[in-house]
Amino acid sequence: MSRPIARVVVVGRDAAGWLSAFALQRAFGRTGLAVQMIELPSQLSAVDVYAALPALTNLHRLLGLDENEVVSACSGVYVQGQRFSGWSKAKPAFMHAYDTQGVVINHVDFIQYWVKARAEGLAVDLEDFCLGAAAAKQNRYVLSKDTTEAFSNAAHGMHLNARTYARLLKQCALKTGVVSTAGQIASVNRSGANIQSVVLSDGQIVEGDLFIDASGVEAVLIGAMPEAPFESWRHWFGADRIMVASGKRLSPLPAFSQISAYSNGWIGLYPLQNRTAMKCVYDSSGQSDEKAAEAIGLTTGMRIESEVVVAPLESGARARAWVGNCIAVGEAAVVLEPLDAAYLHVIQLGLSRLIAFFPVEADALIEADAYNADIAAHIRNIRDFQIAHYKLNQRFGDRVWDRARDMNIPESLVYKLNLFAHRGRVALYDHESFEIENWNAILIGHGLMPRTYDPLADALPREEQIGKFKGMLHFIAEEVRTMPSLDAHLEIHAPYRGAGAQ
Amino acid sequence: MQQNSIRNIVIVGGGTAGWMTAAALSKVVGTQNYSITLVESELIGTVGVGEATIPMITMYNNVLGLDEDEFVRETNATFKLGIEFVDWRRLNHSYFHPFGLYGVDMDGIGFGHHWLRWMKSGGNPDMGIFNAETEAARQRKFMRTPEQKPQTLPKINYAFQFDAILYAAYLRRYAEKRGAVRVEGQVVKVNQNAESGFIESLDLKDGRRVSGDLFVDCSGFRGLLIEETLQAGYEDWSHWLPANRAAAMPCARNGDPIPYTRATAREAGWQWRIPLQHRTGNGYVFSNAFISEEEAMQKLASRLDGAAMAEPRILKFVTGVRKKCWIKNCLAIGLSSGFLEPLESTSIHLSQVAIAKLLTVFPKNGFNQVLVDKFNREMQYEYSSVKDFLIAHYCVTEREDTEFWRYCKHMDIPDSLKTRIELFKTRGEVMAPPAELFKETNWFAVLYGQGIVPNDYHPVADVISEHDLKTRLARIRSGVQDRVNGMTSHQAFIDRHCAARPQTMSV
Amino acid sequence: MNRPLEIVVVGGGTAGWMTAAALAGVLTRQQVSVRLVESDEIGTVGVGEATLPQMKEFNDYVGIIESDMMRKTNASFKLGIEFVDWGYKGSSYIHPFGAHGKPTGSIAFHHQWVRALKAGRNYNIEDFSYAIVAARRNKFEFPASDQTAVNSTYSYAYHFDATLYARFLRDFAEARGARRTEGKVVDVALHPESGDIASIKLQSGESIAGDLFIDCSGFRGLLIGRDPANGYEDWSKWLPCDTALAVPCARASEFAPHTRSTAREAGWQWRIPLQSRTGNGYVFSSAFISEDAAAATLMKNLDGAALGDPRLIRFKSGRRLKSWRGNCLSIGLASGFLEPLESTSIYLVQMAIVNLLKLFPRNPIDPILVAEFNRLVDNEYERVRDFLILHYYANTRDDSEFWKYCRNMDVPESLREKIALFVHRGHIEKYKDGLFAPPSWLSVFLGQGLRPKHYDRLADNMEMGAMFEGLDTMRRSIRERVQAMPDHDAFVRDYCPAADSDRPHAMMGAHA
Repeated sequence: MSRPIARVVVVGRDAAGWLSAFALQRAFGRTGLAVQMIELPSQLSAVDVYAALPALTNLHRLLGLDENEVVSACSGVYVQGQRFSGWSKAKPAFMHAYDTQGVVINHVDFIQYWVKARAEGLAVDLEDFCLGAAAAKQNRYVLSKDTTEAFSNAAHGMHLNARTYARLLKQCALKTGVVSTAGQIASVNRSGANIQSVVLSDGQIVEGDLFIDASGVEAVLIGAMPEAPFESWRHWFGADRIMVASGKRLSPLPAFSQISAYSNGWIGLYPLQNRTAMKCVYDSSGQSDEKAAEAIGLTTGMRIESEVVVAPLESGARARAWVGNCIAVGEAAVVLEPLDAAYLHVIQLGLSRLIAFFPVEADALIEADAYNADIAAHIRNIRDFQIAHYKLNQRFGDRVWDRARDMNIPESLVYKLNLFAHRGRVALYDHESFEIENWNAILIGHGLMPRTYDPLADALPREEQIGKFKGMLHFIAEEVRTMPSLDAHLEIHAPYRGAGAQ
Repeated sequence: MQQNSIRNIVIVGGGTAGWMTAAALSKVVGTQNYSITLVESELIGTVGVGEATIPMITMYNNVLGLDEDEFVRETNATFKLGIEFVDWRRLNHSYFHPFGLYGVDMDGIGFGHHWLRWMKSGGNPDMGIFNAETEAARQRKFMRTPEQKPQTLPKINYAFQFDAILYAAYLRRYAEKRGAVRVEGQVVKVNQNAESGFIESLDLKDGRRVSGDLFVDCSGFRGLLIEETLQAGYEDWSHWLPANRAAAMPCARNGDPIPYTRATAREAGWQWRIPLQHRTGNGYVFSNAFISEEEAMQKLASRLDGAAMAEPRILKFVTGVRKKCWIKNCLAIGLSSGFLEPLESTSIHLSQVAIAKLLTVFPKNGFNQVLVDKFNREMQYEYSSVKDFLIAHYCVTEREDTEFWRYCKHMDIPDSLKTRIELFKTRGEVMAPPAELFKETNWFAVLYGQGIVPNDYHPVADVISEHDLKTRLARIRSGVQDRVNGMTSHQAFIDRHCAARPQTMSV
Repeated sequence: MNRPLEIVVVGGGTAGWMTAAALAGVLTRQQVSVRLVESDEIGTVGVGEATLPQMKEFNDYVGIIESDMMRKTNASFKLGIEFVDWGYKGSSYIHPFGAHGKPTGSIAFHHQWVRALKAGRNYNIEDFSYAIVAARRNKFEFPASDQTAVNSTYSYAYHFDATLYARFLRDFAEARGARRTEGKVVDVALHPESGDIASIKLQSGESIAGDLFIDCSGFRGLLIGRDPANGYEDWSKWLPCDTALAVPCARASEFAPHTRSTAREAGWQWRIPLQSRTGNGYVFSSAFISEDAAAATLMKNLDGAALGDPRLIRFKSGRRLKSWRGNCLSIGLASGFLEPLESTSIYLVQMAIVNLLKLFPRNPIDPILVAEFNRLVDNEYERVRDFLILHYYANTRDDSEFWKYCRNMDVPESLREKIALFVHRGHIEKYKDGLFAPPSWLSVFLGQGLRPKHYDRLADNMEMGAMFEGLDTMRRSIRERVQAMPDHDAFVRDYCPAADSDRPHAMMGAHA
């Protein structure tokens, strides 16, 4: 006798917890699913920030959230990409914009023509042919119109004040019918592979058909399961501490996050409407917390004007995200440095795949294996993208960075790097979150210049190629000129009205 | 009617009005075929209270072919982006009346309507963010708009704040260089033709006689020719604009000069603050029915933001206009033609308007009554429309904390003004005729600033979607920000282009 | 400027000439010199081909005009494949080019259909596929470009005479600079150090050198098969058919815009309608039926007079471990064989050519490009293989040993998982690139008799009444629009009539 899932229990906190509860309630609430949230104490401080990739826009749409209202409430900022500086001591900073570079000409990708032109003396960077990058550098907000759609795929990421965002999600979730209890987990009753119920510290017993572990690194449910050991990625990501703080608001507002490498790690600046969030990810064996705080000031030229919050960090992933009837979402499943703004994206992946594979029979969770394979593949590819930054760094003489450059990397990434180094082509596997243009941006940005280019690019006569290149640059300059500044866009569409207004 | 050709032009009185007239005539009609004589006496002091102006002055400057930087340097001038009105609506409130335009008119209707729609649905009630001059003023910035094709960012409209005495002196040098003749002397008798009544000559105290065909009366309030001789008559407007005195005194600079004038409402009138390069001009415009001259001068002296540099002087006046500004062969320009308090910096403009009209109808052989009547009608109209605009500042107020303000708030106002205010209250526009000096933007700034929030707006503003409206507004806002971000500070601009020579003497 | 890459294509037929035509059509003479070696003595397989919609993109890429090609190859249009007797005797389903219904948000259409089924409304899934409804009524017209129109939800491919197609491509390629050399390859000379091919020697004694050698020599794999390390991965345990008998027959009056595949005792029979005749063939496993019995079945089941004796072709399902090794690239049958059950042969040739062009090498050829080519090609082959196996595996026939064998095969794990997920909850995986898209899997799953036990719960968000209304409306609008379509026959006569429709056709030879 088969029966549907009647009740999902989300054991979680902050954005991971509330997104899980909200998304499941919204997807299945009307089909008879009860979503119960056990809200664990928040781990967010006042200075925390969520940096999000463009995909979050899709999630917001599915959740019925007006993005401008979210940004407005969370003092948020739209960004066109991330700017990486200091990853090579000799080369200038580069922009990883969320947009394509150039256009396909005669069935050959633009980057091929660019590699060829570089060899012939062209001094223009690949990112200069990217509309999103140009807009980012001039702090513009990209409005897509008919004229740009043929050329560009520019999309916006976001910075959001973390606490406010979590609270907003909570309010929305509760409004859609999620039932919530605040508490802590005292013990878990398992029967075989499945969780029957959880017992709260106040004695309450909560039963469910499906349990979501969205408790962050604490991993209160999945962490205790031997079937899902945590596989550390310390050999690839050596940083073991993360510091968060806040500086004053930047004016004019930059339309990108700034990721600066320094001797012992990297520092991220994430502009918001009322402050600038700062993150420092570093190796504690290389420096103390105090020194790291100093490094923030020295590297960014900005003063810390808030409390400084420090936490340990260990990158890695569970062998399985879904064990029995328990599914780990977010950091309970995988922990990554915030280098590529993938924190919320990982949660979104976990939830969207869960909704697609939502079990149809409560007593036969056949979907688990397919889900695990899917998620694992996605995570692997994101992890590889992140490792690439470290592997390709050119900070010679800094212990942490020399070690990163020399490390053994996964075969999947070796293959990608080799093919690109040879020929400027990105081999995409199944289940990738980053597209060809993202890989192009960071590989070229870090200086991995392809040795050869596609010979089919030779068919384009030189004069025509120069003409097309000039045309693209001119087009980009003209378009950017018509774009409103990020400041103006936010002022009109999503103004932050202060802490009281929510 | 005299049939002789007009050859000799005599201007009675110096100061800004006299020398502006002399300079313009010397340029436009020249001294080849005409003689231009200006009679003034150094004994009779000129008013010179530190002037602020409006952008129309550049038209006059262009007619003369003045180099702007030289003009600014010679007159210790600073730049002006608008006027800040402090405490007019209520105490501790201020609004800015800028030059230029708010936003961009779209879809055939004024920007104000689009803005009202947005503001009423939760948008920012500060309209100034869509005006480059306001934002620049707030940040103490100034820059002339560079030539650029195409011009994608808003232009900066500006005027000047200068030392009126230096301005008169500058224009005197200009006029004399072009052949205008200055005669030092006091007029003691005016000789008219027995039959026609036309003025034929002036007798000076030292016995000289100055003859002329055309006489321009720039003799100030007394109207030596137009009133004392030709009895034009005066229309008194003091029941609407009760101020009848001004106490003026200069004080030392307080930091870098700001690029705008400030008008602060006071207990019985208002106080101006006009920053020049070398000092700040201040004045208290008041009604002696509500405060004594003594007290007004004391109050003024106590409210300076720099050390006083002279004793306050009192000016007496009656707000109003000459019933006829041109009679027979004599026309009045400047204070002799009428007076409106400098609340919106209109004095010099009204003189320049009169000069421009004179040039337009400049007589050749004799005087054409049709043209004279036209001149008179138009000058009446100019003064009258400015008058209404000034009254609006007073009558639209929330203040009732002094007798003066209670009077202003409840006084009877002209019907023309009443209609305008009603229309604005109803739907956010005043429909000002194109011939008037003050346009929709100006009325909007002042009426909204003084506290009227229109109930509604033009229906065409509702046609586009909210998203499209916001997109347009963001673009406009962005243009303003980009323009202002590219501007230097006011002081830096002056230093770079038109710093006056250091003053050893100050007036 | 580098000198042009010297490419030598060994073998004609569709594979060889598609390769030559693509290289000559896309690349300039400064970039490549193309030489094709074939022998008129060696017949080509040419079994009357059906193709997939991807062919259109290929034609556009290479510069081939559709109507021109169709006119010269006796071609007709194809909206899908009808599978008769495959699930069980008496069944018929069509695998269409195009979607069934319309998705609701992220939920695929068929979940609505399953939901309706469980609620007692037994809709025929085929009623919601525009291509199927049109195919069954022998209608054809080009799909609308307006994405909101109901007749924009499908695509099409072609049936054509493979020999004429090869001829057409040859003319196209030679006009663009490809050179043909008549001759038989008897020997291959290698570079001593690298082991790469230096030149090939013909029977005439002529030696032809090259930078890149493309082996389109069919099953024999004259070049690629020389390397003992590059073995052949045998898939015959999953795809047991190993023989085909092919014969053309006179056209029926009815001109169907689809291929038909009828399951037989030990395999299946194809029917491909061309303008002037119909191509037929029986693909069977010699372990389960004799050649004579097979021939008898074939001849008995023609819908027009046979136009010759049946031709025999033997094959082994499977593929080379590496399609590309060193400077020798295999395309077509030399690279692998998957029976034409889903018309994938030409597609796999096209796919290899497109990947070659994407990874076009300079001299010397970099192994990194070779590895990437093989990775992409391997992926496609495996997915197509699994899809084909599904047709055999998911059957309920118990009337012959062949079908019993098929039903009990130990199929690849990847396929087993796909079937389990579909049967459990109607889930079909969507690939980023390559075959087969979810509508294809859906039509075969359902056609072969598999029914999902459950459907995607998200489908429950739609109110049931509204859902039924939507389904009824969709069904009706498809039916109405199809009614107004022109007949396939009239459309083809108007658009691309074959040059001499009454010319008796040379027998299709058989290239080894």
